[in-house]
Amino acid sequence: MPASCFPLSISSPSESFLAATRTLAATRDRRFKYVLVAPSIFVLLLIGIFPLVYLIVVSFQNITMTDMDTSFQGLLNYREMIHSTRMWESLLHTVIFTAIALPVELVLGLAMAQLFIDRIPGRQVFIALLVLPVVISPIVAGATWSLMFDNRFGPINQIIGWLIGGEATILWTINPNLVYPAILVAEIWQWTPFMFLLLLAALSAVDKSQLEAASIDGAGWWRTFFRIVLPAIWPVMAIAILIRGLDLFRLFDIVWALTRGGPGTMTETISIFAYVKGFQQFDTSFTAAVALLIIVLLSVVVMLALKRVELAR
Amino acid sequence: MKQAQFGLRAAAALFAAVTLAWSTGAAAQSAAQRAVDAAKPLCAGGKTITIVWEAGLQSLDPLNFSGPKWEQLTGCKVKVVEAPVSEMFTKIMQEFRAGTGAYDALNVIPAWMPDLAQAGALEVLDPYVEKYGYAKELQTIAATYRDNQMKVNGKIYGFPDDGDVFVFYYRKDLFARDDLKKAFKAKLGYDLAPPKTWKQFGEIGAFFTEALKSEGIYGASMFREAGYGNFMFQERFRNEGGKFFDANMKATINGPEGVKVLTEWRSENKFMPPGVEKFGFVENLAVFLEGKSAMTISWPPYGRFAAGYLSEEKALSWVPKSKIAGKVGYTLPPGGHPELAAGFALSVAAGSKQKEAAYLFIQWLNSEEISNQRVQLPYALRDPFRDSHFTNPGYLKLWPDAKDYLAALQAASKTGLLDLSLIQTDKYEEALRQGISRLWAGEDPKKILDDIAKQWDEITAKVGVEKQKAVYAAWAAKSGAYPK
Repeated sequence: MPASCFPLSISSPSESFLAATRTLAATRDRRFKYVLVAPSIFVLLLIGIFPLVYLIVVSFQNITMTDMDTSFQGLLNYREMIHSTRMWESLLHTVIFTAIALPVELVLGLAMAQLFIDRIPGRQVFIALLVLPVVISPIVAGATWSLMFDNRFGPINQIIGWLIGGEATILWTINPNLVYPAILVAEIWQWTPFMFLLLLAALSAVDKSQLEAASIDGAGWWRTFFRIVLPAIWPVMAIAILIRGLDLFRLFDIVWALTRGGPGTMTETISIFAYVKGFQQFDTSFTAAVALLIIVLLSVVVMLALKRVELAR
Repeated sequence: MKQAQFGLRAAAALFAAVTLAWSTGAAAQSAAQRAVDAAKPLCAGGKTITIVWEAGLQSLDPLNFSGPKWEQLTGCKVKVVEAPVSEMFTKIMQEFRAGTGAYDALNVIPAWMPDLAQAGALEVLDPYVEKYGYAKELQTIAATYRDNQMKVNGKIYGFPDDGDVFVFYYRKDLFARDDLKKAFKAKLGYDLAPPKTWKQFGEIGAFFTEALKSEGIYGASMFREAGYGNFMFQERFRNEGGKFFDANMKATINGPEGVKVLTEWRSENKFMPPGVEKFGFVENLAVFLEGKSAMTISWPPYGRFAAGYLSEEKALSWVPKSKIAGKVGYTLPPGGHPELAAGFALSVAAGSKQKEAAYLFIQWLNSEEISNQRVQLPYALRDPFRDSHFTNPGYLKLWPDAKDYLAALQAASKTGLLDLSLIQTDKYEEALRQGISRLWAGEDPKKILDDIAKQWDEITAKVGVEKQKAVYAAWAAKSGAYPK
C-alpha cells in the first residue's frame, strides 16, 4: 500500500492529527484532574450534600421522640412551622440582635482600629490584650458574663452598689428591660475585637501616599476617611460584616448561658429554638424543616451580600 | 433386693437433703451476692460497664465507691459518663437513636420513663428480676418509690434508687425564742410554729423578716429559678387542690389554684432575700447555711449540709460552712404533700451489648446491702429510698438530729407527690418553666397560666388526645399523683 494512501504521515503529521493528539492528551489531562479531585469531591458530597439531601427528606417525614415515622407527610412540618408563632418570634429576636450588635461592633471595631493604627507605646501588647475575648469559647464567655451579671456576687451590681451607696439588686437576666442590653454587652464585648483586628489590617494596607496627597491638598479628616480610607478598606470591611452577620444569625452560646432564651421566650434565637426542638424535644422532622428555612435564608442573604459588594464575580 | 431398695432410698434422701440445703442457701443469699456471683463469669476477661450518671457529687458514688468495689468483686470495670441533669435525657436519646451501644446502664429520672420506654430506649427488666431473684428485695423499697417510679404499662423499666423529696427546713432556735413567740402571738393571734398552710407560711415569713431585720435574717428563702420553680409549682398547685387536666384532657392549670400560687409567690418574694427570683439549689443553700433565712424547702442534702458534720469532706469544700448546725428542724412543707422532685432510677439501655452484666451491676447497686452503704456516702447525693434506710442504725447516729431528719424524710416519702409524667413531659415542663420566668419578668399570673394551658393543649393535640389521655389516666391513678 503506497504511503499516499495513509491520510497521515508519521514523519510529517498533519494538523488534524496533531489536533487529535492534543485533544486526546487534554482529555487525559482532564480525566487525570478529575481523578485527583475525586476524593475531595466525594468527601464534600458526603459531608455537605448528603446531609442536606437527608435533611430535606427528613423534613417531609414525621420523626418525633417516640415515633420513627418515615412515611411521606407532605408539607406537614412546613405548615406547622409557618403557624409557629414561637419560631417567627425567635427569628425576629435573631434579627434584632443582629441589627443592633453588628453596627455597634463595626463602629467600635473601626474606632479602635483607627486608634491603634498610629504607632503608640505598648501598641502590640494592647492589641494582644484586646483580641483576647475572641479566643475565648463563646459558651465560656457567656458563663463568665452570667457571673458578672449575678445579682448577689456579680461585680457589675457591686460597682453600681458602691456608686449609689447601697445594695443594688438588679436582675439583669430577668428584667425584660435589661435582658437585651445584658446579652448585647456580652456579645459586643466578645466580638468587637474580631472587627477591630480585620479593620486594623485593612487600615494598615491603605496607601499612605494617597493620605499624604489628600493632606497636602487640604482635605479634612472626614473627607479623607470617606473618599480614600473607606473605599480602600471596603472589601475587607464587607467580608467582616458578612462573617459577623452570619455569626450573629446563628447566635446561641452567649444567650444560652445567660438566659436560655428567657424570660419566657423573650430572647430565644432561631438557633436556640432549633436546638430545643431538635435535641431536647426530639421533634426531628419539624426541626429539619426549620433548619432548611435557616439554610435558605442564610444562602439568600449571602448571595445578595456578595452580589452587593461585588465579590462573587 | 432389699439392699438395692435401701440404697435407692438412701440416694433419694441424700439428693433431697442436698437440694434442700442448696435451695435454702440460695434463698438466704442476698440479692447483692447473687448479682456478684452471676456477674463473675460474665466479667471474665475484664469487661467494662458504661453507666450514665449525673455529673458532680452524684457521680462520686460510682467513681469512688461502687465502681471500684464492683470491679474488685467481679472483675468488671465501670466507666462513668457524667452529664448535667439538663443534658442526660438528650444524651441517652441521642445514643439510642445512633445505636452505638455505648451505654450499658442508665440513671433515669422517673418522669422520663414513659418517653424513654415508648421510644424503646430502656430494657424491660422483669425477666432479669425473675432470673436473678430480685423481686423480694424490690418489695422493701419504700412504697411511694416502688409503686410509682418503677413501671410503665405494668413492666419494670427501672429500679427507684434515689428518694428525692422536698423537705421543709426551719430554724428551731428562732421558732423557740420567747420574744418572737410573744410578739407573734400578739400580732397574729396563734402560736408561732412551723406553718401547716401556705397562708401561715406567708404570715410567719413576713413576721420574721420584720422582726429580725436588725439581725439580717429573712423570713424565708425558696427556689424561684424557673427550673426549680417547676417542681415547686407542681407541688403547691396540687396541695391547693389543683388538677393538671380535666376528664377531656384539657389543661386546667390556669384555674384559680394556679393563679393563687403564682400570685402568692410574687407576694412572698417581698419577705425573701433580694434577687430570690434567681435562686436555685446553690444560691438558696448559701443563704440558708449562712443563717440568713428562717425557713426553706429543698431536697434532703440540705439537712445533712446544715448539720455541718460533713464539713471536713474534701468533695464538699464548695458547700458554705454551716452556721446553723444543731439549729435546724425538719418537717413536711405546708399542705403536707411534698414534691417527689426528680429522683433517679437505675435502668439498662436497650441498645447495650452486655445487658446481662449491666443488669447485674444495677441490681447490686440497688440492693438492700449496697444501697444502705451508698445513701450514707458523705459526698453522694443519693437519698434514702428503702424502708431500711430510714431506720439504719449507722445513719441514725450520723449527727444528733439525724433521727428527726430520717423521720421527716420517711413521712415525706409517704405523702409525696409525683412529678407530672406524660408522653413528651419535657414539652409540658418547658412551657411551665417559661411561664415562671415570665412571672419574674412582671407579667400577669392569669395571662401566663392561660398561655401555658394553651400550649399544653397544643402539645396534647400533637401527641394525640386519646393517646395522652390514657397515659395521664395511668399516671393519675398512681398513689402519689394527687393528694388523697
